[in-house]
Order: sequence, then structure tokens, then C-alpha cells
Amino acid sequence: MLFVAHTSAAIGICALPFVNPALAQLLSHPAIWRGNDCAPEPSSIATGFAELDRALPGGGWPRGALTEVALEREGIGELRLTLPALARLQAEGRSVVFVSPPYRPYAPALAAAGLDLSRLVVVRSVTGSDALWAYEQALRAPECGAAFAWTATHDERVLRRLQVAARDGRTWAVLWRRPEQRAGAQAAPLRLALAPSAGRLAVRVVKRRGVELARPIVLDLAHAPGAPLYPLPEGRLTMKRTSPAMPTSRRGLAHRKAS
Amino acid sequence: MRYACLLLRSLALDVFTRACAPDDARPFVVSSGGHYPRVVAANGVARVAGIRRGQLISAALALAPHVTLRDRDLGAEEAALGDVAARLLAFTPNASLVPPDAVVAEVARSARLFGGVPKLAEQLGAQARSLGYDVVTAVAPTPTAALLLARAGREGCFVDADTLASALAPLPLASLDLDADAIATLAAAGVATLGEAARLPRAGLARRFGAHVVDTLDRALGRIADPRVPYRPPPRFERKLALPAPVESVDALRFAVRRVVDDLASWLLARGLGVLRVTLSLVHERYLRERGVAPTVASFALAAPAREAAHLDTVLRERLARIVLPAPVESIVLASDDTTPLASRNLGLLPGDDAASATVPLVERLRSRLGDEAVITLGTHDEHRPELAGIEIAPRPGMQAAACDASGMRPPRPLWLLDEPRALGDAFAAKPWVLRDGPERIESGWWDGRDCRRDYFVAESAHGKIVWIYRDHRYGTDDGEWFMHGLFA
Repeated sequence: MLFVAHTSAAIGICALPFVNPALAQLLSHPAIWRGNDCAPEPSSIATGFAELDRALPGGGWPRGALTEVALEREGIGELRLTLPALARLQAEGRSVVFVSPPYRPYAPALAAAGLDLSRLVVVRSVTGSDALWAYEQALRAPECGAAFAWTATHDERVLRRLQVAARDGRTWAVLWRRPEQRAGAQAAPLRLALAPSAGRLAVRVVKRRGVELARPIVLDLAHAPGAPLYPLPEGRLTMKRTSPAMPTSRRGLAHRKAS
Repeated sequence: MRYACLLLRSLALDVFTRACAPDDARPFVVSSGGHYPRVVAANGVARVAGIRRGQLISAALALAPHVTLRDRDLGAEEAALGDVAARLLAFTPNASLVPPDAVVAEVARSARLFGGVPKLAEQLGAQARSLGYDVVTAVAPTPTAALLLARAGREGCFVDADTLASALAPLPLASLDLDADAIATLAAAGVATLGEAARLPRAGLARRFGAHVVDTLDRALGRIADPRVPYRPPPRFERKLALPAPVESVDALRFAVRRVVDDLASWLLARGLGVLRVTLSLVHERYLRERGVAPTVASFALAAPAREAAHLDTVLRERLARIVLPAPVESIVLASDDTTPLASRNLGLLPGDDAASATVPLVERLRSRLGDEAVITLGTHDEHRPELAGIEIAPRPGMQAAACDASGMRPPRPLWLLDEPRALGDAFAAKPWVLRDGPERIESGWWDGRDCRRDYFVAESAHGKIVWIYRDHRYGTDDGEWFMHGLFA
């Protein structure tokens, strides 16, 4: 009964022209999918961005499914896009696993963005089959709520396997990849492409269980957790000092040495 | 009071053969060693070949040339008694060793929990068999009586106080520890059983054969006290399991590893501990040891104190699968390096309640295959230099992240940090970069040789990347090199 209530709520969001409750209940059956809205997602986690939630089936990141995110280069706000959902998953008591991230996840910034560091596991300096093995283990683990992997696998069978693992473990699985790695049919039921767009982040929904979206969703991540929060677009840059000043006596010594 | 005696009747053999799978059909003989070695014990296949206890080894070899021979290992037998007693401590409050080959456990006090004394005794026997030992179980009101009944081979014998005297009466005198002369003398006098001996005048019996004969009879019948020293498991676990034959593949070791893991699990339970670090050493053959081939060692740290045999076995199996054996393995040694008290866990009321806690934590599975260094969690460190402010720590249970200052007045820090700052070189001048924030002066570390004096900026590249860059003023100049240090991902 809970399930039916959930999906009829989703139809309410989609603003159907009719409100016949019997018909709505019939249409909310999971086996029925109508072309002009999104397939019901059994369980999802809100992204923290209302525009994106509206575009994703089930109103958020899918739990128990593979999400492929293509991005041209790192540093455009891709991690900030996921942080609200990660924090929410951690608050549920589940942990987050990063498998072979491209750079060092920087603890002070992650903690400041609201992540619980004790619930973040990083698997690094592993490659190839080991990384995929670790990723699959993470996806299947009940304690793991989200698992991110930065791997370059093209193997269709591997991806299907990961999709099944994510479904079994009810884990939000994100596979980060380069745009040119997307080719042919893919197992992931949700695929996004990220690109910067005039200081903001354009999220193109390449594939979803629903009708195709023509326009990318442009999100302003300037105030999202993890953002640098720069306050002066035009103002003069002023010197700030966050470390204590060097002792003056040493400065003098350095000068004497130099001269 | 009720005592169950578990007599490990083929202990000399079992300490070797328990390391191999039950379907292993090789003739196996334990020899006494020394100048004229004799057969101490032989397994079923060897007995079928005609090998008997007490035979000279040379005769045994003539009967079965391919027989596997091992010298008797008294140390292992003693340790095995301890392992069985530790396992029994999960079922009874009190177990004591009766060297050389028996364990006596007090069963009356915990019988109610296990459905009565007979069921409990049956379970104790099953536990010892699951460890790979052949046992005879007998229950009697006194430890000595239980031992005598077990020695007489009365498997499953259950005697209470009323039937004790009549149950002991038909037992042969040989079950008492008398020397052969005494037994022969008594037999010549027509005394062959305990019952007959008990009817003799006590003073005469004591004078002729020693007070201990009378005392043993009295202890068996409960006339005098029969105190036993309760077994306390040793403070550290280290168990060596000799393999019946050298093993060349890791797969063949799995069964033996499971055996020592079972021993470790019962030791942990008896001491109320959980293990944090275990070391499994694979000892190679003697001729290789003498040539300086060191044992192959697999050391493993667990994220949370563990006690379950299945859990430890899964973890060690994963670790074993990654090991390449340089030489055949002759024995394995499992040792507990680091333990911590671990409270007992309540079992679930309904089936499936405790399913989640029974699985091996993810972090451990990952570390067992990928190594301890590959799986980390992050922590923060109070330090101005950015590369030292984020640290990597080994995952630990119940770890709490340091409380973070949640005020908004925090200088910007990137989510990705580069391992090494990357020199921007001419790229900085060539492309249009927009400096969004800064400079933030970070100047620290002159005392430890990793001096840093940098002006950090948040910059946006032409591609829309937001990066954290700095100008290096280490050398005191105002036109230092530009470096990229992080990405605001």
C-alpha cells in the first residue's frame, strides 16, 4: 500500500489533466508505464536540487541502480552535485565508498561540506579487475549507501554485473567517465552528462526511464556545500592571512643570510 | 552434580589427521620415535593394511610402503586438550583437563539451557567431533567415575547417583591407573573388576597396592571429594597445526586453516575476547627451513573485533587466495596478535534478526584482498599547510569524525587535492584565468624543513574548471612560480 501511495504522489507532481482516483491507482501499477512521464523508481534519494529532482525518475538519485555521469574534466562542480545526497545517506547510517578517485579526496573540505568522514571509505591505488571487484563488493554490501567509481571499463557484461550488484545491494552507484567512453547500449538506467555553463553546471539527462529531456538543467552550485563561496566577483582582492606570521627574528636572519 | 568426560581416544592420531579433509584416504601412522620406533596410532586405512598398535615401524612399512609417518607430538596433544576444553566452556561453566587424553566438564548447572544433561552431553561430544577429534562421552556424578566409564568405552553412558555403584562394578581393573604387576596379582586372587576390588578390605588393599587405589575408588564412588583444577585458556593464542603431508597449493590449505580458525574462535569465546589482528604463518619443509627459507606470513588486521569462526575464515581465505607459495608447506601456525574484550552478542529473537551482523564488514573484505594500505578513511589534522591538513587513517570501528567548525567564515578549500602541486608554467599566462578569491597567505612549517609560503587563489579556467592555485613565495621573491593544488569539484 505504501508503494501505491508513493507512485500516485509522483503522478500528482506530474500534474495529470484528470484526477480520477480509480484510474490513477490503476496507472500507478509498476508494470504500466506511460510515455509522457517517468517510470516509477522504487526508491530514490533527493539530490538537494529541486530542478534536478523534478527531472529524475522517482524524484532523486536512484537507489539500487547504476548512474553513469560523463564529464569532460574534473573540477566543474561534479562532486558538489552529489554531496547533499551523500550527506543524507550518511545520516541514515550508511557509508559512502570511493573507488580509485582521480585525486585525493580532501578531508577538511569534505568535512566542511557536511560529510561524516568516518563513514567515507576510500579505495585507492587499485586498478583494473581489483577496482571492479572492490566496486562490486561495495555495491553489494548492505552497509554501503553510495559507491562511486572512477574506472574506464567499456565491457558491457561488467556494467550489467555492476547494475545487478547495485540493485541487489540497494546502493546508489555512480560511475564517472569521460564523454567519449559512452558508446552503444548501456546497462545504466540513468546517464547524465555534465558541462560547465557560464559559472554554473549544466546537467544533460542523456538517458532516463522516461521521456527524453530536450534541454539541460542548469544548476547554480555557487552556494552548494563544498563551493568556494567567493563573495567578490568585481571587488578588489585583498590579502588574507590564515596562518600565523613568521617570527620577525627569523625574517631578519633570512635577510642577513641573503645579503 | 554431573560431570561429562570427553575421552579423546585417538588423540595422537587426530592431532595430525584433523588437518586433512575427511575424504582423505591415505594410510597414516604415528610413531613413538626413538631408536626402535613403534606404532602409537594408525588410521583406518592403515589398520586395514594390517598395521597394529605397538608394531615396529619397520614392520608397518613392510605392510604398507606408502604409509605417511609422523613422530608423536605431545605438545600438540596437550594443546588439543586445551582447545577442546575452551570449546566446552561455551556450554559449561567449568571444564578441566585430565592429561593425557581427556577433558571433564561440569554439566549440571547449564543443563537447563540445553535441554537436559543427556542432550548437553551429546552436544559436547558433537562439538569435539566438529573440531576433528574422536571422542567417547560418558556422564556420571563424579569426574573420576565419568573418566572410568569413558575409558571403558561406554559411549553415551549416563549414570546417576543411584546407579553409580552398579555401573562401575563391572569395569575392568585396568581402567584404574595400576601397574601391570598389581593387576596380575589381583587377577590371581580372582579380583578382575572394580566391584570386586571395592568389596576387598580397604586397609589391606591400601597396604598392598598403595593408598591411591583406594582413593581412586572412593573418588569414583563419591565418598571423598574429587576437586579438579578449572581450565583457564592461555592469555595468548598460538596454535600450530602440522599437515599430514606437505601441501603445495593454497587451496589444499583451506581445510587446515578452517581447523585452526575454529580453535581460535573457541579460545576467543572462552576468554571473552575479540581479535583485532591475526597472523597466519605457513611453515615450509624442514630442509628449506634449514636453507633459510622463511615462513610465508599473512598478517591481517580486522576493522572490528571479531570472534565468529565463519567471519575469520572468510577473511583469511580471501587473504590466502592472494598468496603464492614459494615452497611446499609443512605446518601452519595461527597466532592472535592483538585482542580486545568483546561483549557477547544477543542472538536475534526471530529468524533473520541477526543476519546483518553475521556478514563480514565491507571494509574487511576489501582489505583482506587489496591490502591494508589500499582501503582508508580520511581524517583532519590541525595544520595550516593544506597537504598536511587532510590525513589518511586505517578504518576502525566506532570511529568518530572530529567535530568540524561549522561557522561560515572559512577560507575556501577544494574537494580534490592534488598529491603533488602541479606547476602551471606558461599555461597560467597563456589562457584567460579569472581569479575569484584570494590571495590567502599560508606561511608555515619553517621548523620542519617543509617550509611553505604561498598565496592561494580560487581561479576559474577558460574551461570552466574552478581550481585552487597558489604562487610560491618560498624563496622570498614576489614573482614566484604558479602551481595548481586542488579542484573545487
